[in-house]
Amino acid sequence: MDTAAIQTLGLTRRFGALTAVDDVTFSVAQGQFFGFLGPNGAGKSTTIKMLTGLLEPSAGTMQILGHPFGAGALDLKRQIGVVPEGMALQGRLTAPEYLHFVGGMYGLDRATTVTRTDELLEFMQLANERKKLVTDFSHGMQKKLALAAAVIHGPKVLFLDEPFEGVDAIAAGMLKSMLQGMINRGATIFLTTHVLEIVERLCSHVAIISQGRLVANGSLEELRAGVASTLPGAEQEQRLTLEEIFLAIVGAGGTADAAQELSWLA
Amino acid sequence: MAGINSAGVNGPGVSAQARGGIFSPMARRQYRALGRMRWRMFQNGMRTNQGVLELGARTVSMLIYAGIGFGLSVGMGFGSYAMVSGHQWAYLPILFWAVFMIWQMLPILLASFQEQFDLSILLRFPVSFGPYMLLYLIFGLVDVSTIAGSLACLGLFTGITVAQPGLFAWTALALAIFAAFNILLARAVFAWIDRWLAQRRTREIVGAIFLLAMLSLQMLNPAFHERRRTGPVSHEDHAASPRELEERYMPWLHRANAIQRWLPPGLAVQAVRRAGEVTRSGEGNGAPISGSIAAGALGSLESLGVLAVWMLATGGVLAARLKSEYAGENLGQAPARQKAQSRESGRQLGGSGPIAAVIEKDLRALLRTLPLLYAVGAPLLLMAIFSGAFLHGIGPRGNVFALALPLCLVYAQLGFTQVFYNNLGTEGAGIQIYFLSPTPMRSVMLAKNLFHGALFWLVALTAGVLASLRLGVPQPAVIAATAAWLMFSLPCNLAAGNIFSLTMPYRVNPGRMARQRGSQANALLSLLVQLGILSVGAAVFALTYFLDRLWLAAPIFLVMAAMAMAVWRRLLANVDGMAAQRREMLMEKLTKIS
Repeated sequence: MDTAAIQTLGLTRRFGALTAVDDVTFSVAQGQFFGFLGPNGAGKSTTIKMLTGLLEPSAGTMQILGHPFGAGALDLKRQIGVVPEGMALQGRLTAPEYLHFVGGMYGLDRATTVTRTDELLEFMQLANERKKLVTDFSHGMQKKLALAAAVIHGPKVLFLDEPFEGVDAIAAGMLKSMLQGMINRGATIFLTTHVLEIVERLCSHVAIISQGRLVANGSLEELRAGVASTLPGAEQEQRLTLEEIFLAIVGAGGTADAAQELSWLA
Repeated sequence: MAGINSAGVNGPGVSAQARGGIFSPMARRQYRALGRMRWRMFQNGMRTNQGVLELGARTVSMLIYAGIGFGLSVGMGFGSYAMVSGHQWAYLPILFWAVFMIWQMLPILLASFQEQFDLSILLRFPVSFGPYMLLYLIFGLVDVSTIAGSLACLGLFTGITVAQPGLFAWTALALAIFAAFNILLARAVFAWIDRWLAQRRTREIVGAIFLLAMLSLQMLNPAFHERRRTGPVSHEDHAASPRELEERYMPWLHRANAIQRWLPPGLAVQAVRRAGEVTRSGEGNGAPISGSIAAGALGSLESLGVLAVWMLATGGVLAARLKSEYAGENLGQAPARQKAQSRESGRQLGGSGPIAAVIEKDLRALLRTLPLLYAVGAPLLLMAIFSGAFLHGIGPRGNVFALALPLCLVYAQLGFTQVFYNNLGTEGAGIQIYFLSPTPMRSVMLAKNLFHGALFWLVALTAGVLASLRLGVPQPAVIAATAAWLMFSLPCNLAAGNIFSLTMPYRVNPGRMARQRGSQANALLSLLVQLGILSVGAAVFALTYFLDRLWLAAPIFLVMAAMAMAVWRRLLANVDGMAAQRREMLMEKLTKIS
């Protein structure tokens, strides 16, 4: 049996009286494209921060590639790449300078860093922006650069927090093919996003978190079957979209009525 | 009402007048909302220990500023009283120019110690330009330069009106306009500097000009005082008779006086002086001469009028800048001037590994971050100006003060306060990479310390060479003692700086000189630590100097340097634990925008 790429057990994070992530347990197999979904404030980013060492769990354990993981697990950090919530860019550097810096931080030698930087900038269509400071990049360009920085050291596990936010359709398509290529070569990807179509198209497994608790976990077909079984007979036959599954699981009742109450809106 | 209402901004409680003057109902609601927001921010800030510490530090800072301002006020009061009551009007401009210099120089000297609120966040709301500019002015009022400048003006007002009560109204009016001019000028200078720094090209040009100016000014002094190069002692001025001195300098002074009369400090003095001379002549004759009074009043009004023109023109310069900002100009991106770059990427520095990566990144960031470049370089510039004090025979043998070199280097070192004590400040969201990557934080801090240490030695060497050019080469014992003291103070500052950087960090916006967030606690406590280090150094220097055993200072400092180095290494080894404990706070402080 293969070691899980990511394994959590009772992962919990409290901020004072608020429990942002509550007793979350799941496992992501190696080579899996794993979608982690949830409404705003559900605990997605908090979970990904704990999984990448940016946040200390209040309780529970986690393992990456079979080893206990925490802020001090430096060897394990070489195996993971992250596009964090704030992208972690350096605004005063150009894109090549930033990638050289990140390569150095991950211990790559200069020649490898330079070669990979050129390839990544070419792939991300940022090669013509080599002299521009990162602070002058558009949001989408910054996202592409953050993704390039996350993969420059060739990680086995990639954590992506909203990587497609602000990225145009052309670039999104390119990124998707790159991520799919990584999966084909055996990498594991842990993705959080609000764009459910992307998850539906790319991810083989999905977990849904709501109010800090894991409310669903399994393959897309398993989730679909689970939700369909709660529907009336005739509706069980139709193929549910991920959006319908998501809304059914996290509950979206009342939003239409609430919108009606905002009568002063045009 | 198709426009706004159909866009959806409608309903009970929404002011029908979205635009208006600075006291319109809409503006007043906005002031109240902003006031409430600031109050809530203040209250919420108290929820954390850091917030309480910040409040304490701010209170202490305000008391210190007020104390400095009060001392200044008393000095100005006595000075102006003596001059006006002694009818020495010709010397009064000196005091007004001093106030002007203090008002304009303090924000530059203390830029890293002040927290400022960035009002550009208001631009997303329907705030009219008038209220926006008013808020821009009001929110900067409680800073050290305004407090010190206002108290100095109060001292001038008290001194002049006690000496001549009849000048009450003229002095009040002149000082009010003078104060308004100073406030507007200080704001305008920083607003325009921020604008220039917003573009990479201009930022680099301004940076290069600044560096060149800094070095050129330093070189000008020895060039102008070539005869002083031969040694530390210049007896020419001492040997010259008063008449020779008068002949040499009076034409220059007359010319300078003629020019300064048309500048704001001179105009404020002129307004008071003309009224004062008329009042005196009226009192002296027993009965006022109406024609003379009218002429004096007109003269005063003329000076006040020109002073008001200066003030309005300065306000116009500020308004022009704020209007562009108000119109939506994006200072952060300055998109209009961006051009496609066809050149290949900049030169790469050699070296692999995390330490080389951090040093290379920090070097590039420093060269593109004028606030830091300025903080490092400004003391050199000011040292050139103030080191002149050592040329006037302060020393026991009537020559250049023997400890001028260490004193100059102390001042040069102060510029590194922000660099040493907030060494993660420019990372912004990039701080996360240090926690995500497999590089321990102690390696990051080591790289930063190595870089900052090398930079410090470079600046110290430059300052030493320039000070020697200006003041003459000091004794070998002084050079050795100074170098040894720097070897002691550097690890002390680096060790304390690492702790402060991890416990009281604040974000430095690299594109702005003004409107930085800052941390009063960091500023105040780092100043105290620096004072402690300086006190130890001063004690050793003073002891050995007055015992005439200055050669002993170097070995003492070397022993202390070894101990300081051991402490620095010990603290560096503990940095990983400290950073891990505080990583959430670090990321929150350094990534948040407002």
